[in-house]
Amino acid sequence: MARHGTFYAGLATAAIFVILEIAAMSMLKRSSPLQDIWINRFSHNVMAVTWGGVNRIQDYFGLREQNEILAGRNYELFKELQHYKEMEKALMAMSKLDSAGLPPRFNYIPAEVTAMGTNSRHNYIILDKGSDDGVLPQSAIVTPNGAVGMIYSVDKRYSYGLSLLNERVSVSARVGKEGLVAPLVWDGQGTAHAILRDIPLHLDVPVGDTVLTSGISAVFPPDIPIGVTAGTRLIDGAVNVVDVNLFVDFSALRYVIIAENPDRRIIEEMER
Amino acid sequence: MKNVRFIILYVVFVIAQIVLCNFFGLSRYLLISVLPVLILMLPLSWGALYSMLFAFALGFAVDFFSDGMLGITSFALVPVALVRRFVVSIVFGAEKSARGEEITVERLGIPKVALAALMLCSLYFVIFVWVDSAGTCGFWPALLRILLSILVSTPVCVAVARLLRPQ
Repeated sequence: MARHGTFYAGLATAAIFVILEIAAMSMLKRSSPLQDIWINRFSHNVMAVTWGGVNRIQDYFGLREQNEILAGRNYELFKELQHYKEMEKALMAMSKLDSAGLPPRFNYIPAEVTAMGTNSRHNYIILDKGSDDGVLPQSAIVTPNGAVGMIYSVDKRYSYGLSLLNERVSVSARVGKEGLVAPLVWDGQGTAHAILRDIPLHLDVPVGDTVLTSGISAVFPPDIPIGVTAGTRLIDGAVNVVDVNLFVDFSALRYVIIAENPDRRIIEEMER
Repeated sequence: MKNVRFIILYVVFVIAQIVLCNFFGLSRYLLISVLPVLILMLPLSWGALYSMLFAFALGFAVDFFSDGMLGITSFALVPVALVRRFVVSIVFGAEKSARGEEITVERLGIPKVALAALMLCSLYFVIFVWVDSAGTCGFWPALLRILLSILVSTPVCVAVARLLRPQ
């Protein structure tokens, strides 16, 4: 109780002190122009500091809202930037492909890898382009670095393909520009390795030769690099197989190009 | 009888202060004021509230009857009244303040009264010179003015205290 009384007495003393000082200052303001100017300047400074402080506090508490707005803008800009990046990469890939001298009879559609498997013997690849984008089944999936696989089926917005890391996929390949032609298949021995099979025993395949798509197919465009030869092995005493180190790094694959041959149906009908 | 003598002397010193302000402008750098000690010598039974009200009225009276700026003395003297009991507690001891005993030079000694007067004069002249210069005076001239005023006014204040309450 006594503590409360002391507190109120202190409060009253402080209040009276402030009132008396303000009263003295008011008298001083009226009695001297110099002091009037000085007090005005002083009070303006105090007001400026006070209002500045109040504004700073308001700004501080307004930062949360500003942060949310900025975060939203940041997200929108990030999406826009990603979109442009993807477009740029696709254009770059296309230009590389053009510079690689790909035959103009193929239609090319840039696509992004949505999902891909590399852990089984029948690996797949799903791309973000579908029939709405003009993708047809039996189209090749390539990159400027090499063949990736082929489209198996298409949805409106996505397409499902079999990657080169699938034992069912066989690509007609050529060693060098004018070398022997043989089917290239995956042997299941790692994601960077495939084999050229059915190589006759009398043919010698030097190590380090580039393996390209042969073009003897309605699916893959010719002269797409696939890998380099790494050695020859005798299988069952009858044929050789050539080990090929693949150019495409399937673990880091993201952007690909779908190569579709518009004349494929005509060629297939003629083959029948 | 003692109180009557105290009141008469108190009024005389107030009048002397007014006369001093009006007719004895010694130097631009020297102010002589006994008002801090007049506040110090107020009865200790008066709390800060009454002391401040009295200091305000005293400052107003001095300004009103002298040719100074009205309000400046009140402005400097009210803080002196506010801290008076605190200074008394520090210099003379807390029990002196609590018991409400009167301050006398004879009983408390010149050094303690001089110290209390010095503290109150310092506060008074710092505020007075600060307001009086109104930002037109540099730091060192203002400091010189404050120090000179304290140096001269403190002994005068001790003498006034001795005269006000001789025993």
